[in-house]
Amino acid sequence: MKAAYQMIVSMSLLFLTACTQDQPVKESQMALMKTTNPAPLSTKRKKNVDRVEDIKRDVSSLPELYDVAVIKGDKDTLVVYKVKHMHRFKMKTIEKNLNKKLEKKHPKENFTVSSDYKIFLESVRLNEKMKSGKLSHSKAEKRLEEIVKMTEDMK
Amino acid sequence: MASKQKKMTPQQKNYQTLQQKHELKRPVLKNCIKAFLVGGLICLIGQAVSYFYIYYFNFTEQNVGNPTVATMVFFSMLLTGFGVYDHIGQFAGAGSAVPVTGFGNSVISAAIEHRTEGFVLGVGGNMFKLAGSVILFGVFSAFVVALIKTLLVMWGVL
Repeated sequence: MKAAYQMIVSMSLLFLTACTQDQPVKESQMALMKTTNPAPLSTKRKKNVDRVEDIKRDVSSLPELYDVAVIKGDKDTLVVYKVKHMHRFKMKTIEKNLNKKLEKKHPKENFTVSSDYKIFLESVRLNEKMKSGKLSHSKAEKRLEEIVKMTEDMK
Repeated sequence: MASKQKKMTPQQKNYQTLQQKHELKRPVLKNCIKAFLVGGLICLIGQAVSYFYIYYFNFTEQNVGNPTVATMVFFSMLLTGFGVYDHIGQFAGAGSAVPVTGFGNSVISAAIEHRTEGFVLGVGGNMFKLAGSVILFGVFSAFVVALIKTLLVMWGVL
């Protein structure tokens, strides 16, 4: 019986370690557990990086938040963030305040704000694909729309 | 309690002191630590399962709880069937009974216990003997909370 247990443990360890060998570790793989702080991006051809960076700076200035991702599309600007553990009781208030702040500072933008881990993960994945050049502008815009729709479905 | 002690005969009092002398003390602190560690470990596994569903499937943080709970109950059912969960329960006590895995354990252990009485009257009739009250309480309290919320929304409070 003991030998069988030992065999199961060693076999599963072997299989699990074999799967992880020689594979590059992507940023998105640890996005839920670590602070990734992805650079703000725009899906537009004529990139207006300054404005996106401004938005990210404004969001990061809130003391309750610690990891912020901003992606600007043609229609929507997606703002995703993680809330510090002890502030997670006030998620709705934080979202409300953030919405107010962003609408006041950037009245022309159409913001979609979310603190959901899935949305954060998807925006980090989109960020990675855009950086590596695997995604064309139109495809990136389409994916961003999908993520925004996912956020709206949750409300 | 005090009046009961007054009515006791000297023989009964002697017996009680003897019994108190030989009574084994429950290691409450040790049990609490064990329950805390095992319960925490079960929650850690649950968190890993929910991250798995977020990473590889289309579940958001809001709805990932449903498949996670189902998976954890399924795991505990398998472990109960293999006879492993009994040992965990004996070691951790409330640490293994309070998380949702304890629900799966209570369903399957009752089903195994009454298997000899047949599948319909034995397994079917007694499967929810322990877990039935939990389901009933959950469904009824959810109904009451939903009713209160609907009324508050109708009256414009929320």
